[in-house]
Amino acid sequence: MSLFSGRRARAAALLAAAVLVASGCAKSEDTAASPAPGGSEAQQQVVKTPSGPAGAGCTIAQHGATKFDLKTGVVGFSQSEKEANPFRIAETQSIKDEAAKLGIANLKVTNAQSQFSKQISDVQQLIAQGAQLLVIAPLNSDGWEPVLQQAAAKKVPIITIDRKINAKHCTDYLTFIGSDFVEQGRRAADQMIKALDGKGKVAILLGAPGNNVTTERTQGFKEQIAAKAPDIEITFEQTGEFAREKGQQVTEQLIQSNPDIDGIYAENDEMALGAVTALKGAGKKAGDVKIVSIDGTRGAVQGIVDGWIYGVIESNPRFGALAFETAQKFLDGESIPEKVIIADREYDESNAEGSLSQAY
Amino acid sequence: MQTTHPAPPMATTRNPRERAGRLLQQHGALIVLAVLLVVGTVAFDSFTTPANLGNIATASSFLAIIAIGMTFVIISGGIDLSVGSLFVLGGVLAAYGSRHGAAVALGLPLVVCGAFGLVQGLIIARTRMAPFIVTLAGLLAARGLMLSLTDEGATTYLVEDDLFARIGQGAILDVGYPFFIMLAILAVAAVFLQRTGFGQNVYAIGGNEDAAALMGVPVARTKVVVYLVSGLLAGLAGALNAARLSSGVTILGIGLELDVIAAVVIGGTLLTGGAGALGGTIAGALLLGVIQNLINQVGGLTSSFQQVVSGAFLAVVVVAHRILGGVRRET
Repeated sequence: MSLFSGRRARAAALLAAAVLVASGCAKSEDTAASPAPGGSEAQQQVVKTPSGPAGAGCTIAQHGATKFDLKTGVVGFSQSEKEANPFRIAETQSIKDEAAKLGIANLKVTNAQSQFSKQISDVQQLIAQGAQLLVIAPLNSDGWEPVLQQAAAKKVPIITIDRKINAKHCTDYLTFIGSDFVEQGRRAADQMIKALDGKGKVAILLGAPGNNVTTERTQGFKEQIAAKAPDIEITFEQTGEFAREKGQQVTEQLIQSNPDIDGIYAENDEMALGAVTALKGAGKKAGDVKIVSIDGTRGAVQGIVDGWIYGVIESNPRFGALAFETAQKFLDGESIPEKVIIADREYDESNAEGSLSQAY
Repeated sequence: MQTTHPAPPMATTRNPRERAGRLLQQHGALIVLAVLLVVGTVAFDSFTTPANLGNIATASSFLAIIAIGMTFVIISGGIDLSVGSLFVLGGVLAAYGSRHGAAVALGLPLVVCGAFGLVQGLIIARTRMAPFIVTLAGLLAARGLMLSLTDEGATTYLVEDDLFARIGQGAILDVGYPFFIMLAILAVAAVFLQRTGFGQNVYAIGGNEDAAALMGVPVARTKVVVYLVSGLLAGLAGALNAARLSSGVTILGIGLELDVIAAVVIGGTLLTGGAGALGGTIAGALLLGVIQNLINQVGGLTSSFQQVVSGAFLAVVVVAHRILGGVRRET
């Protein structure tokens, strides 16, 4: 059932995304302001804004890649982390499903198991195997020099998804497709302000260090709190490395050292769920400590239904459709912007129960 | 690589069965490596390309450099768990130091990581504390130092010296400079291990420390040098890797010490000390890289399989050591 409706929704969203991208090139400010479409279409990724000024895009002529047919060409996908986290499972599945749907016969998938050295060798191997397009979910933003050199030598376009690579647009990589993480942080802050009525002590469970997601989710949250609710005090910050057990461990320490904490901002759902376990272990009741997190996994949305989590900002992992569509446009000669920013939804107690089937 | 194997440290071989067993122990990794290279060539078109083999050789050379130091440590009967942390610390220090030129970029990690190794060696040699615990403390301390230098890992220093970057990024026929640096270190290390009194002392301590001490082997001094070398090589590998990546990546090296130990043991060095050779260690390091590459070639398998295969292989090697070791003790 849900599979069928998912397929149909995907087709609809593909169309919607295509329209939005097309119109976004012409008048990107309008599309930036338009809200994410609701209903079943929101399940798929929708482009919010292809950012960057006009003329700053990258065409196949500027890049130097040779045109090929996606269906018969070799496409490499490098996943960064172990598929123990719903975000990663959904992300890989989305790439594979979309490739199957488009009839891309030669998709090669690797998984770096959270080891950066392995991801570098994985991608180098994909290049050596003749990949003509690389889709990379980078584990770390820096340290890609060996890959970038080999890709540049062979003129292989690189699309990075969900995290950025610190490199030059067009010469080093084609585009970044992902969420506006600063905005996610700001929206999480808005939810926290609402949850605490603008007053209280908040702890932050930071993501893994060394990538732009952590930095920007932190930045957006802090900026918004400082601007909108000066009475909210951030009293504790520690990394939970985006992992459930680490989030639990850090929260256990937090309850010991700051028993009067009012809210916890977890930079992903896994850490939020770890925090819930820690709070339960410490004898707290649902709602005693307001938790706001980012991702939109099924477990976290269920947490809202159960009352343990106050709100969740979505970070949509279904990159498949948009990634291949962007690649096709590039191959067709269109100009591709430096960033393709997607629209994310928001879950709270008003919509959590009804949206559960759309969470991943 | 033949020349790097030691004269048999124990009695000379007498019967064919034992000789075959010893051959298997010393050259097992090399034999399996050769078999896998043949299998890979036959099964996959994109395996035996210069680019792919060059990638494997370059990527494995960092592990191999650290494993050379670890071979000394394990032959001496010890273990060094700090190498993964020293590897990442070395990389961060090299990237940080690169703003003052290539000499500082190379020198700073060598001085700091060498100091870590020296202190660990002094503690192990003087207090006779278990190397496992002392180097575990080193693992934590070095990673802590790295995190404090990088705002909990959030700051990544970029390599700013072109000469230094070229050491890690240059290549001859698709094989990166780090591989040739590794070969040079291997040659020097092999001479020290096989042809000098120091090398004999390392074997003697690992075989029987008390007997070695009674024979007048400078046990404490030898141990200090062994851990110093291990620390230096881990720092050097980190620095070379930073040059290759053009940045001091902070998320590297977690659990690397276990891969290094696996490479050494797969290479035929006994974890109990007293026996082993550097040629096998290099074969072991390359073998781990080849297994990873082949599993990616298969494609359909999830990459967790690499750990399953490496783990299974390690288990086979350890069991083989046990059986071979039993044979030897009876004679």
